[in-house]
Amino acid sequence: MTARSVLVVEDDPDLLALLEMILQDAGHRVRTAPEGGAALARVAEEMPGTILLDMRMPGMNGWDFAREFRDRYGHACPIVVVTAAENARARAEEIGAEGWLSKPFEIEDVLATVARHLASAPSAG
Amino acid sequence: MTPGPLQRAGAPGATDPEPSRTSRWRRRLPWSPGRIVVAYGLLATLWVALSDRAMEALAGGRAGATLQTAKGIVFVAVTSAMLYALIGRHERGLRTRGAEIRATIESMADAVLVVDTHARIVEVNQAAAELLRVGSRTELLQPLAEWGQRFQLRYLDGSPVPLERFATIRALAGERVPAYDAIVRAADGRDVFLSVTASPVRVPGGRTELAVAVLRDVSAARRLDELRDEFLSTAAHEFKTPLAVIKAYAQLLQKRDPAEAEALVVIQRQVDRLNRLVQHLLDTTRLRLDGGRDGQLQRFDLGALADEVIQRMRASAPGHDITVSWVAAPVHADRDRIARVITSLVDNAIRFSPAGGPVSAQVDARDGEAIFSIEDHGLGIPAERQARIFERFYRAHAGTPHDYGGLGLGLDMSREIVARHRGRMWFESTPGTGSTFHFSVPLAEGAL
Repeated sequence: MTARSVLVVEDDPDLLALLEMILQDAGHRVRTAPEGGAALARVAEEMPGTILLDMRMPGMNGWDFAREFRDRYGHACPIVVVTAAENARARAEEIGAEGWLSKPFEIEDVLATVARHLASAPSAG
Repeated sequence: MTPGPLQRAGAPGATDPEPSRTSRWRRRLPWSPGRIVVAYGLLATLWVALSDRAMEALAGGRAGATLQTAKGIVFVAVTSAMLYALIGRHERGLRTRGAEIRATIESMADAVLVVDTHARIVEVNQAAAELLRVGSRTELLQPLAEWGQRFQLRYLDGSPVPLERFATIRALAGERVPAYDAIVRAADGRDVFLSVTASPVRVPGGRTELAVAVLRDVSAARRLDELRDEFLSTAAHEFKTPLAVIKAYAQLLQKRDPAEAEALVVIQRQVDRLNRLVQHLLDTTRLRLDGGRDGQLQRFDLGALADEVIQRMRASAPGHDITVSWVAAPVHADRDRIARVITSLVDNAIRFSPAGGPVSAQVDARDGEAIFSIEDHGLGIPAERQARIFERFYRAHAGTPHDYGGLGLGLDMSREIVARHRGRMWFESTPGTGSTFHFSVPLAEGAL
């Protein structure tokens, strides 16, 4: 059985490439989307094990994506908010996300957070 | 026709301020009642003393009764004519004066309300009707309490202004009311931001019969403030993604090429510093944009929080000996924001004592208040700059050899946070010796 993937939703191409690189370096299978609409399409293809979600994005933003995702799939996969908001935790609670990362983040924190949520993700199916 | 309120307001004895010698109103009415009586008395005495003799001379010493009667009629006619002229002149003067006062109030761009001792609005100008978007200014001539309810006069935090705190009521009590900010809801449902002042109107006896309130519409300035804060907030927010990318790449490179670690650590440290500045800007602007909305209140111990914050900050100030002593001081407050106040004060104490040395923090509980104090032995604040240090963007050491950076936001933000907790903030500072800053928040209910 293949390990479940990490879906990174981020509009900044440099940050997206960076997250993809550090997660791949750590042995994760990574899929990416530049905004919420594309992310929903990725989810429809394959349910990821964790979603890293930027909030402010052109197209469908993080708030709308989270709402849409919950409507369709409930808590099938944990969402980790990656936000520049001063209170990342409040932002996460606002959309019912399971975790949060503040920008700028420590690489170690990203890896630890992703590992923890992948482990706790409900099994696919 | 019933007299208009302004005629009432302009009636003698009600509003006559003691006019200065140069006032044109004074010059228009040169004859005071006293002068008129004295002049009349002199004229009448002369008449009484001289008219009989004149008559004797005219009638050859035998004044007839007819002539005496005629003399009396002439006297009455002349004095009546004089009185008529004098009273008419006075009345014209008063009318002109009333019209001038009315025109003065009318020409003011700010809304003016005149309130009498029964707390009734007795006069308003057109600007008031326009400000409150009512069709006719007579709608506004009502008891002040009803006016306050109708237009929902409230402080910026949304709490209603109690009647006894209305500027005019305070002015009627003899207070000179400094400008304060308030909000009213105009008749069309829109909120208008106001700067309100009021002064008592004293009659010559010294009694206060009226109060005049001036309401200035500051909505435009306020919107500009909000735009600025929103811009700062967005800008600060936008900085964070590039900061995240730079920092993460620096970490990545450091891992891959340990030989360059030194340079890459510097990059990360500077990114962290930039991030703190950006965070600071965000904190302050958000605090403003959130307006009076309460933060998340919880019960915690101010002493323990101060200890925790200072432990965390010690690492970044190896040259300083930061001590903290505290007693139990339970408060019911927004923990994150109070932590920011402490952080900001400790950061100042460190920054402005560049030679290092002791920095002592203390938490006390007395008289229903939890009090945090922090003392440094640094530069102190020059006396002439002390009055301004709580101003936003003001930096007491800007442009001096002791300019150690910062955005000039810390104290402004701190004082605002403390004020929202119904606390106080104050300091003592001696240039060359150091500063001590204090803030207080009320102890939680049930605390000893």
